[in-house]
Amino acid sequence: MKKQLFFQSAVVSTILSYLLIFVGGLVRVSGSGMGCPDWPRCFGRWIPPTSVDQIPSYIDPTAFNIVLAWIEYSNRSLGVLVGLSIIVLNIIAIYYFRKETKLLISAILSLILVVANGGLGAIVVSSILNPFLVSLHMILALMLVSVLSYACIESYKLIHEDKFKNLQGSRTLSNSLILFWLLIFIEILLGTGIRTNLELISIDNPLLSKGELLNALDSYKYFHSFLGFTLLFLSIYIYAKLKNHNLFIAKFLGIFILGMIIVQIFLGEMMVFFELPQLTRLFHTWGSSWLVGVIIILYNCISNERSK
Amino acid sequence: MSDLNKKLIIAFFSVFILGIIGLFTIDQATQSRINNLPLITEIPSFQLENFDGTSFTEQNLDNQITVASFIFTQCEGACPIMSENMGLLQKRFAESNELQFVSITTDPDYDSKDILKEFSNKYSNKNNWFFLRGNIDEVVELSQDGFFLSASLLPLGHSTRLILIDKDRNIRKYYEGTIDANIVELQNDIVTLIKQG
Repeated sequence: MKKQLFFQSAVVSTILSYLLIFVGGLVRVSGSGMGCPDWPRCFGRWIPPTSVDQIPSYIDPTAFNIVLAWIEYSNRSLGVLVGLSIIVLNIIAIYYFRKETKLLISAILSLILVVANGGLGAIVVSSILNPFLVSLHMILALMLVSVLSYACIESYKLIHEDKFKNLQGSRTLSNSLILFWLLIFIEILLGTGIRTNLELISIDNPLLSKGELLNALDSYKYFHSFLGFTLLFLSIYIYAKLKNHNLFIAKFLGIFILGMIIVQIFLGEMMVFFELPQLTRLFHTWGSSWLVGVIIILYNCISNERSK
Repeated sequence: MSDLNKKLIIAFFSVFILGIIGLFTIDQATQSRINNLPLITEIPSFQLENFDGTSFTEQNLDNQITVASFIFTQCEGACPIMSENMGLLQKRFAESNELQFVSITTDPDYDSKDILKEFSNKYSNKNNWFFLRGNIDEVVELSQDGFFLSASLLPLGHSTRLILIDKDRNIRKYYEGTIDANIVELQNDIVTLIKQG
């Protein structure tokens, strides 16, 4: 019962965090980051203004764009909601699971990460969206969902101990999952690096078209594609290894990873060659972020009893 | 298995809904940028003089996007920052021949053509930035009635705002010339206007 409670709380926190990454991506893609020029409030209000008359005199009303303000504020509000759900998770962990170090530590760590990232959000706004800080904000969010995914799978394993009891772990598979996680993290870093550089170049050269911007990029944009295909081969290997796994969830996640990599490579290459709606960019980032958590879950699924 | 199928359907449906929300939001954001550049008013006719002696009238605003400011060269507070910001924008949009800059002195008694020229050398790096002077009464009138910016206790009391004017002499928006966030916004709005043609 208590384990179930922790598990459910962890799942809710994880799903909300992924939604938060989606909304955060939406803020970046739609260029709404400065929708609220102050922090934590928006134009001095806890509920963003709906008309120009509500803007306090000390803030320049010409900076007000109601749509951008509400997009930015929905990111902050959802962030608060994630924070609250993680506080609940911590209360459950501290109350019932003081002896279960895995659960306790992952809960506390997620709380630290969410608070840190909220604070970083304030710095992002005050830096007028410094592209490095914007990317760091996303990287911290990825770490948060990693930790939360870990909390999910570990509590799930406590509930369904029998399912995980007699699993034969494969060292090479486990290692390849670690490798995959590291590579996907690097791949996302490269991706945010590309975006950071595009934004930096476009601040100094506001008139460049997308093609010219891409040309102005360093050569590591090719490395992002190259690593993408490396991940494809790795995911084929992982899929083949898991195809006949006893655990249904392992089998399922193997397919998920392969499918997601294929979709991401497709979206990524399409973005280079065609003028696609900004939504493509959003799903390119968001879909990859799912892989980060999924690998954590899969790894802890199949590498369970080896250590015991 | 049917339980899984149900979950998968819910998952796909959620992603689909998120996609629609995303599409709608991005579209609204783009649209709001355009809507946020309303036609405020048309600049009335005026006649001022550039530091090189040529005359500058409202007709010089035609077919150019203009960023305008009121300054004076002895000003130590806002003007240097405003002018540096305008210089920054001038540099960033150097490739464009659709953009020009105008600074009008609120201290024509002191700011002779030579002094304005000197000031121009300090901040401007292209010949699309005009430093204008004229009769003080005309400057006050232009500021108050043309740009709707207060101009009392001149020269010090000039506005620190930058004014964005479109190719049809319409004022589109004001920006606090000393705040970085507003300069970024001005830059984005210039791009929006250039793209609109």
